Amino acid sequence: MRALTRPARYLALAAYLFFLGFPLLWLISASVKSSAELNSLSVSLLPDQWHWENYTQALERQGIVRSAGNSLVVALVSTALVIVIALPASYVLARMRGKVRLAGISWILVSQVFPVVLVILPLFLILRTLGLADSLTGLTLVHTTYMLPFALWMLQGYVSAVPVELEEAGAMDGASRFTVLRTIVFPLLAPGIVATAMFGFVASWNEFFFALVLLQSPENYTLPITLKMFVGGEGKVALGPLAAGAVLAAIPSIVFFSLLRRKLTSGLMAGAVKG
Amino acid sequence: MKSPRTLLTACALTTGLLLTACGGGGEGGGSGPVTLTFQSLSDQPAAIEATQKIVDEWNREHPDVRVEIVPAGWDGIYDKLITQFNGGSAPDIVHYEAAGIVPFAKDGYLADLTPYLSEETRADIPEGILDTVTVDGKVIGYPTELQSYMVFANKTMLEDAGVEIPAGPTMTWQQLRDIAKATTGDGRYGLGWGLSSPTAAFLALAPGFGGQYFEGTGDSTSITVGEAETALPELVHAMAYEDESIMPVTLTQSGSKTLAPFYEGQIAMTVQGSYQAANIAQDAPEGLDWIVLPPLAGPEGAAQATSPQTLSVNVDSEHVEESAEFLEFFTSTENLAAINEADALIPPTRSAREALADKLGSQHGWDVILSSGEHLTSAPYLFVDKYAQWKDTVATPAFQRFLGRETDATGLARELQDGWKSIAN
Repeated sequence: MRALTRPARYLALAAYLFFLGFPLLWLISASVKSSAELNSLSVSLLPDQWHWENYTQALERQGIVRSAGNSLVVALVSTALVIVIALPASYVLARMRGKVRLAGISWILVSQVFPVVLVILPLFLILRTLGLADSLTGLTLVHTTYMLPFALWMLQGYVSAVPVELEEAGAMDGASRFTVLRTIVFPLLAPGIVATAMFGFVASWNEFFFALVLLQSPENYTLPITLKMFVGGEGKVALGPLAAGAVLAAIPSIVFFSLLRRKLTSGLMAGAVKG
Repeated sequence: MKSPRTLLTACALTTGLLLTACGGGGEGGGSGPVTLTFQSLSDQPAAIEATQKIVDEWNREHPDVRVEIVPAGWDGIYDKLITQFNGGSAPDIVHYEAAGIVPFAKDGYLADLTPYLSEETRADIPEGILDTVTVDGKVIGYPTELQSYMVFANKTMLEDAGVEIPAGPTMTWQQLRDIAKATTGDGRYGLGWGLSSPTAAFLALAPGFGGQYFEGTGDSTSITVGEAETALPELVHAMAYEDESIMPVTLTQSGSKTLAPFYEGQIAMTVQGSYQAANIAQDAPEGLDWIVLPPLAGPEGAAQATSPQTLSVNVDSEHVEESAEFLEFFTSTENLAAINEADALIPPTRSAREALADKLGSQHGWDVILSSGEHLTSAPYLFVDKYAQWKDTVATPAFQRFLGRETDATGLARELQDGWKSIAN
């Protein structure tokens, strides 16, 4: 019976992975098909003829590499800023009791209520006054502000899960407050920090609306703006080059996740043992 | 629930009231060459190249007034423009479409180009097209590119069915219906029409039946949905369910998705935007003998409403006159022919259409497509403030329900009218 269960589990896992990966496979397939094949009724994962020209067109058009570089810079810096700001703030929110905490939590929730279309214009005017309207610095600040409430909410949940007794034990052993945080609390928060960083990176990497409105110069365009330019007026879509561009756009996210995945797992295990 | 566009517009108007006059695009009025920013939405590689070529030529001939292209995408352009106009960072020259720029013109963001439009250009643009860019008697943009709805046909399938292929200046909807019936059979259908978003097509083609839908402007806009307005949806309904000559699945698809069964010979004809001629020429399998049938004509003629792509000038630009001069240059016969050839669209001026017809002849049905340009005209719905909201939240679902046999023509008319009233109020 156990001999049968094991292959069945692997089969289920393979089916699940295929289900998860199929959209990406289909995207890759579309990125190497010709326009004629994409517009035919035949459905096949493998192309009749490999059409690598889509990648050439994607790379040649609209400065996609430059846009990817811009997106990477904005996503990495805003993610780092979010973590640096949210980590101590979330600790305070999680540990503090009273009206300040209530006000903080309420602010986080309320800030999520406003649709971006309501804040975009005042934001644009503020950034313009500061000379940051058409700059990656301005967009980075906006992304940081935009992601901060959710990151705070997420991290304060992780902080709350760390038993306060651990901190008390550290204090009993003579560790200062900062030492307790550095050597006990923050290491236990590693999985939370990684998860929050992943969220922040992806949110910034994919963000379209703020970038669309705030950035005016083509040399500052981020990847979502450039990819959208493959969708033209009158419903015209350059599907092959768009798919090729999307595949290229997915690579940094995949690399980022791959790098952090091990940390996420090890962090979770570390927390489990110490908790 | 308010749409994001409505919210943004409301927010923009509120903020606009709080702002003092903001500086426009372009450079200050100091000495030295003037630089005009031209936010271009050209998306096809050939059109991008043609636009660049025109701008390069201008810059070569006008060293004191340089034009700088700022590429942008169609997606989200309304939101971008409204922020740019309110934030005082709009470019000098704005590329968009007639239906889209009307609200900006009404809010005073666009310069009146009437004094700059040369008599020669004015005479070259058919009155109906000029009407699409005229708001309160002022020309607020130069039309640059148009599209019409055309019927693309598999000539072999029509000949095999013994159909006489229409060759006149126009063809009637009844002819289309008869051909579709004659070519239906053996698992094949006479027509495929991608009507997943039917409002644009039904309203654009309504003038041929005498349908207008809207009357008046601003707060006094009213809607009428009578026999003339429902004639086309009813015809499609009859072809789909009485004649069974329309491939049912195509009614739920986009226009471009309907090309696949056309390429496979599963449908004999398909109604598409005229620009699809370029895609069909590129993607159709070898051996597919396809043609473009003459423009469709209803009882009131072959008129189709159109919303041309436009070039307008930011009212806050410090160089309105220079910008208008550039627009005159951009819309010269030669340039319009080049840009429309690159985009596979129809030039708005007669001379550019003739130039393109002379150059391309009957290749890929260009002669027939260009002839449809003469029938393109304005329509009241292009000037209706809340048209976009009505289209998305009322008309499209109502037409879909009608084509899905969930309601009849009376119910459709009621839904369209009641929906408008609730939006207008």
